[in-house]
Amino acid sequence: MTARFETDVVIIGGGVTGAGVVRDLTLRGVRAILVEQQDVVHGTSSRNHGLLHSGGRYAVRDENAAIESYRENLILKETVPGSIEQTGGLFVKVPGDDDDYVRQWLKSCEKVGIPTEEVSVKQALKEEPYLNRDAEAVFRVPDGAVDPFTLTADVIADAADRGGGLLRYHEVTSISRQNGQVESVTVQDRFTGELKQIETSIVINAAGPWAAHVARMADVPMELINNKGTLTVLNQRINRQVINRLRMPGDADIFVPAHNVTIFGTTGVNVDRPDDTSLDRDEIREMIQEGAALVPEVENIRMIRAFSGSRPLYQEKADSDASGRGVTRGMALLDHEKRDGLGGFITISGGKLTTFRYMAEKTADLAAEKLGVQAGCTTDREPVPHRVTDRDFSKWDLSPAAQKKVQYWAGTNVERLEKSLHESVNASEVICECEQVTWAELEAAFPEDRPFHLGDLRRRTRLGMGTCQGTFCHQRAAALAVENGYATNQEAEAALVNALETRKKGMTPLGDEQTRRQTEMMDAIYCVSLGMQKEGESNV
Amino acid sequence: MHLQGLNDLDYNSCLKCNACTVSCPVSNVTLDFGGPKHLGPELARLTEQQEPIDDKRIELCTLCGTCDAVCPEGVPVSSLTANVKALHAEENGTKFRDFVLSHAEYVGKIASAFAPATNLTMKIKPARKVMQWVMGMHADRQFPVYRFNNFKRRYTKKTAETKRKVAYFTGCYATYNQPDIGDAFVNVMKHNGIDVAVPKQKCCGVPMFANGRMKEGKKNAAYNVDSLLAYVRDGYDVVVTCSSCSLSFKKEYLHYLNSAEAEELAQHVYDANEYLRFLKEKDELNEDFGAIGQRAGYFSPCHMKGQGIGNPAMDMLELIPGYEIRDLAADCCGQCGTFGFKEEKYPYSMKMGESMKEAVNELDAEITVTECGMCKTQLDQLTEKKTMHPIEVLAKAYETV
Ligand SMILES: Cc1cc2nc3c(=O)[nH]c(=O)nc-3n(C[C@H](O)[C@H](O)[C@H](O)COP(=O)(O)OP(=O)(O)OC[C@H]3O[C@@H](n4cnc5c(N)ncnc54)[C@H](O)[C@@H]3O)c2cc1C
Repeated sequence: MTARFETDVVIIGGGVTGAGVVRDLTLRGVRAILVEQQDVVHGTSSRNHGLLHSGGRYAVRDENAAIESYRENLILKETVPGSIEQTGGLFVKVPGDDDDYVRQWLKSCEKVGIPTEEVSVKQALKEEPYLNRDAEAVFRVPDGAVDPFTLTADVIADAADRGGGLLRYHEVTSISRQNGQVESVTVQDRFTGELKQIETSIVINAAGPWAAHVARMADVPMELINNKGTLTVLNQRINRQVINRLRMPGDADIFVPAHNVTIFGTTGVNVDRPDDTSLDRDEIREMIQEGAALVPEVENIRMIRAFSGSRPLYQEKADSDASGRGVTRGMALLDHEKRDGLGGFITISGGKLTTFRYMAEKTADLAAEKLGVQAGCTTDREPVPHRVTDRDFSKWDLSPAAQKKVQYWAGTNVERLEKSLHESVNASEVICECEQVTWAELEAAFPEDRPFHLGDLRRRTRLGMGTCQGTFCHQRAAALAVENGYATNQEAEAALVNALETRKKGMTPLGDEQTRRQTEMMDAIYCVSLGMQKEGESNV
Repeated sequence: MHLQGLNDLDYNSCLKCNACTVSCPVSNVTLDFGGPKHLGPELARLTEQQEPIDDKRIELCTLCGTCDAVCPEGVPVSSLTANVKALHAEENGTKFRDFVLSHAEYVGKIASAFAPATNLTMKIKPARKVMQWVMGMHADRQFPVYRFNNFKRRYTKKTAETKRKVAYFTGCYATYNQPDIGDAFVNVMKHNGIDVAVPKQKCCGVPMFANGRMKEGKKNAAYNVDSLLAYVRDGYDVVVTCSSCSLSFKKEYLHYLNSAEAEELAQHVYDANEYLRFLKEKDELNEDFGAIGQRAGYFSPCHMKGQGIGNPAMDMLELIPGYEIRDLAADCCGQCGTFGFKEEKYPYSMKMGESMKEAVNELDAEITVTECGMCKTQLDQLTEKKTMHPIEVLAKAYETV
């Protein structure tokens, strides 16, 4: 028997775009369910730079994208403050970069209204000691750093709190249409294999790089370029603010601070498969060499992992510029009723993390119009609850570093966190030292709907995101999960194998001595001490 | 270009392996201390380009440097913890007590001027109780004795005329508390035909670093580098009888001063026994030792272990006919410079000293030999054995015919 549900709107894709749409619709009082094939932020939304664009990067080449970015930048700082660090940013011209571009850039910024301020090189070096000492010109812009994990999770959680629906680990396997109108979608539970059918008037395809694939399920043709970019994570945070290279956008241009690390990149290579997140050692090496123009030390500073994600770039015709960077970064909102004669089907694609709210607004406007709903968008002023809490944690036996972490991180989880601190023996113990994640935080973050998965915890708490990439904390978390009844032995072991594999995937391509030593220690702990099998060994 | 300032205290090679915390003498006796990994490389990483984090537990770090010695990746752990100490002192102010303790020299000058009175106050219980209230120094703690006739008064030679010339850095302990070490060193050198000059010098700065008073420590360091380097450039070798002072020249100054001068000086600094061993390698050592029939246990101070030069004191003492020297192979003594004087640290200090006490009792030798005056304080407190500086034993062997 297939279970059946009924709703007004089904949104496919738990990335930041889908998150924005489900919240927007829920705020308008529309019944909506978000369906995600894995955990939330499985796709590009967790595989990006985390730059809250000021628009500066697009000022010269894409005026609309620049205007949208700056406007959204200001709105997001107010409405999702818990996921944004207002770092500010610098655009830096280094020797060899085109002077004309600088003039053009300044003119464009002025035209579209992005505030810039020239900073003396001396002052810039004082603020950012890792910057190239030979820098020739520096300008300040209102860039920011956004945490895409918390952003997406918090937006969805707020929607859920207001009655929105969420199905994680459910893959949409088919979309049925009847008389030129979508009728229902079928989803499959990843863990049980169970099929569920959701009847709905509207289906919104927010599947990012998978959007073309999802469109095909509804027999709608679509061309999408998936342009893969690679990024690396530095072991330390080297910059207070965002550092951009002041030239026509290219590779290895940006350093974005992200809590305790700096994210550096990126590149652009078109790929065929939406889930191609492969990494190439030569590409990484070239990127680092290029990045040295802006931050010379990048060649020496330890990296802890690399990752890649795909920009879904919509093109109306198959033969437009295929280089990736030339295609607009603006959004593509497709009303398939007009475009393909399929009522109730909408695709939202392209765009940026920075503009997700605006993309969601336009998409929800269209859906509301189709449903005859009058209520307008309020996400430009209705804030998502802040992460920072003023609750006093000093009475618990937390190290100052761990206390700082929860103070900036607890958000709406604060009740569960305090409950854990009250009731659990190990609550104040730091499980992940690199990122100062306590057991209380983990306990407060356990998703209730699914079997134990270390990745779920990582995305919600930063567990295992630091220097040792889970060498120590994964096994501690797994052991405590079993001890406290959150997981069976088998689930814990499966989670460990999976976590080890995904952490190593991002480490191995770095190929440097330090990472090799770190993975060796990882193997020593998991394969020697804990007797787990090394991947591939069984096939030898 | 080498970005000294940026990478000098590089914590990036930390693999989080815990070797430092497992070996830390303090972590081994208490969970109240956050451990060198967390308070060193980890905290540095968590605060880089972000707001600083003041962690009170840093007060328990003794800067013994064991963490540096055991780190397989060469992370300068104790320099990182010293920075956290400095921050903590800045945020909270230093106690008057810590001011007194970190100014061994200042106190030494005053105390040795009134030596009999000071020693009396230090010994009388009621006065000690007052010190515990007012200053937070533990009433049961034995203090080093201050000498009226300090080494500065005894020995004033500022130049040397021999082929090899030694510039002697005396250190506060040999200057104010045990000038006999200074005398012994000058005698040992005399037996090797080497003149000893005592350059102008200030406290090496180690007690200031340990109490988070970085600015003053660095000021002293700069003064000493200036003064000693002039001798080096004149062909002198710089020799030191205190293991903490010599370690500071070899290690701390490089981190804190970060100058070419500090690097240059470090190339010419020797621990006293290391220097004698060097003379032996050059075939210049006078090995005319008289026999001493004695069983002795050698206690290696953390700051000697941290120099990574083996046990030069044992290498020398083994040359004395009849002298039987055994390595006590014990962990940190727990006194740790000024640490063990503080009221709130006293219990930790006593606990840390246990393993040393056991080692001394087990070996049951006639005396204990160690280079460090602070280790001696703890040995005096926890064991019945007499404690001597190896140079004193060597001087005795030269005098014995
Ligand atoms: C390298 C790189 C750097 C970037 N840097 C920045 C930046 O600094 N700033 C910025 O503003 N933007 C940046 N972006 C762009 C930004 O990341 C993306 O525009 C944004 O994350 C896209 O989000 P999305 O929700 O549309 O897609 P995704 O996050 O990919 O979400 C799509 C979701 O759909 C799910 N899905 C797919 N098929 C199905 C199915 N059949 N059933 C159920 N679920 C399904 C997927 O699992 C996925 O989670 C960057 C992009 C890249 C690639």
